Amino acid sequence: MSKGVLLFAQNNHSIDYIKQAIFCAKKIKKHLGIPVAIATDNSDYLKATYPYYEKYISHVIELDWYECKQKRTYRDGTMSKKDLEWRNHDRATAYDISPFDETIVMDTDFIIGNDILLNAFDTDQDFLIFRHITDLNMDRPDEYRFNKISDRSIDMYWATIFYFKKSEGMKRFFDLITHIKDNWNFYRLTYQIVNKTYRNDFAFSIAIHILNGFQRTNWPNVLPGRLWFTSDADVLVKLEDETYTFLLDKKHWVGHYHAGCVKDVNIHILNKFALDRFIDEDLKNE
Amino acid sequence: MSKGFCLLAQNNSKTNYIRQAYALALSLHLYNKGQKISLITNDKVPTEWQGVFDQIVPIPWDDNAEDSDWKIQNRWKVYHASPYDETIVLEADMLITSDITHWWKELSKRELFFVSNVRTYRDEVVTSRFYRKTFDANELPNLYSALHYFKKGDTAKEFYNLLEIIVNNWALFYSKYAPNEYQKWCSIDVSMAIASKILGNEHDVTDPNSFITFTHMKPLVQGWYNKPEKWTRVTGKYFTEGKLFLGNYLQNRVLHYVEDEFLTDELLEKIENGTTLLP
Repeated sequence: MSKGVLLFAQNNHSIDYIKQAIFCAKKIKKHLGIPVAIATDNSDYLKATYPYYEKYISHVIELDWYECKQKRTYRDGTMSKKDLEWRNHDRATAYDISPFDETIVMDTDFIIGNDILLNAFDTDQDFLIFRHITDLNMDRPDEYRFNKISDRSIDMYWATIFYFKKSEGMKRFFDLITHIKDNWNFYRLTYQIVNKTYRNDFAFSIAIHILNGFQRTNWPNVLPGRLWFTSDADVLVKLEDETYTFLLDKKHWVGHYHAGCVKDVNIHILNKFALDRFIDEDLKNE
Repeated sequence: MSKGFCLLAQNNSKTNYIRQAYALALSLHLYNKGQKISLITNDKVPTEWQGVFDQIVPIPWDDNAEDSDWKIQNRWKVYHASPYDETIVLEADMLITSDITHWWKELSKRELFFVSNVRTYRDEVVTSRFYRKTFDANELPNLYSALHYFKKGDTAKEFYNLLEIIVNNWALFYSKYAPNEYQKWCSIDVSMAIASKILGNEHDVTDPNSFITFTHMKPLVQGWYNKPEKWTRVTGKYFTEGKLFLGNYLQNRVLHYVEDEFLTDELLEKIENGTTLLP
């Protein structure tokens, strides 16, 4: 059974997800030592701008480019923000395009810092995902947005990273996600999601809820380890080896921060601008 | 040993509890074959509704709730009025949504049993203590009277006899056993908890880990950040092919819906015509 990681990287006008993917793949190679596939709608840019990419990426999968009308707000701490295109509609294709029998799919801003995820390949489960995050910022209000997809709706699962094994059941799961994506407005209203933006976390959560017979069950199981989380209101200020130091947004004090630090963890860094500054530094000698 | 469900229902100026009792009985029969349910009431029950009840039993002795709008003063009489040796007592504003006949085997091990761990519509254990401040402040057993069981015998009789005294002298008992967060009205939950505390039988009459529980739809315990006045105003409901969904969650526990407007004529008609997917 082939094993690997699949990354989706589709740039917008300001954020170089392809560069993030290379950095992400570099960390995967270091800690997990398994092949990485990148799915992108701009492979020419990948090859021209990062000619060394094959050191870290073994498969390049072409995605169709399409006009993207969906936008989201990207922040760089609490005082700076931009509204940019958000190309995130292709994750439902992971089943069809993955070159691996067993795949870990992860966001390019999810950075690996240890090898605990290798244990995902040793279970008899065909799907593993995180139900909860571990927020580095203990000062952040414990709001429903981290636990449910809306206040009165269903449990939230995090499509930031998940594992799947190709099987009939998983094919059905991804077909259902495609159906939800194609009928997003219906599902958004049915599940009382206020924001119109399509979000993978929500689509995955709805699909899980439906396949569970509209009940809470013990499926799916949880990925090994933790999903450490920082929001884009937090700012990465130091990255040394596997130690990440952040300025963390202070509750009720806009523009004020407190310091926080983690080491050897797998962490989702939503502030892409801050992450980008350190990736430039890290990749400059490639 | 005869077994059956019992509920005591008395209409007041706002709510037709007999209608709720009818819907409850329908829902019980929809999912549970061969079960008996009796209604204790002095109110008139429409002829077309009577068939769902095993017996319609008049409230014993005088109607102690004649001058009350929240008619709980007769609740202690359910022990005396029940025609069964073993009784599951339900409140009228409940619906059964699944087969619970296996409960009898579990409950038969007890003389008395009260639910003490209720669920939200998302099947999460209710952790909010908003409605239970008196219980916490006075270290009362966390009992819910809305769904309980008794087996006729000395133990249950002693309990209900004490409950009668407490309900009839509630202010005196509340000031002695529940002086903190003092409740200025009589409630059966608090009265039963005091009875249990006086008898020292909490560990015999409940088990927080029991699978026997119900979904409690009081709006402030649903785990919502934005708390509505009424849950029925913010949560979708669907009843299709004998399955009830609230807010996209399939309901398969006993549902204590609390708000009468939930039981619309449309829903009642669907329950009347309901076909379950059960064999």
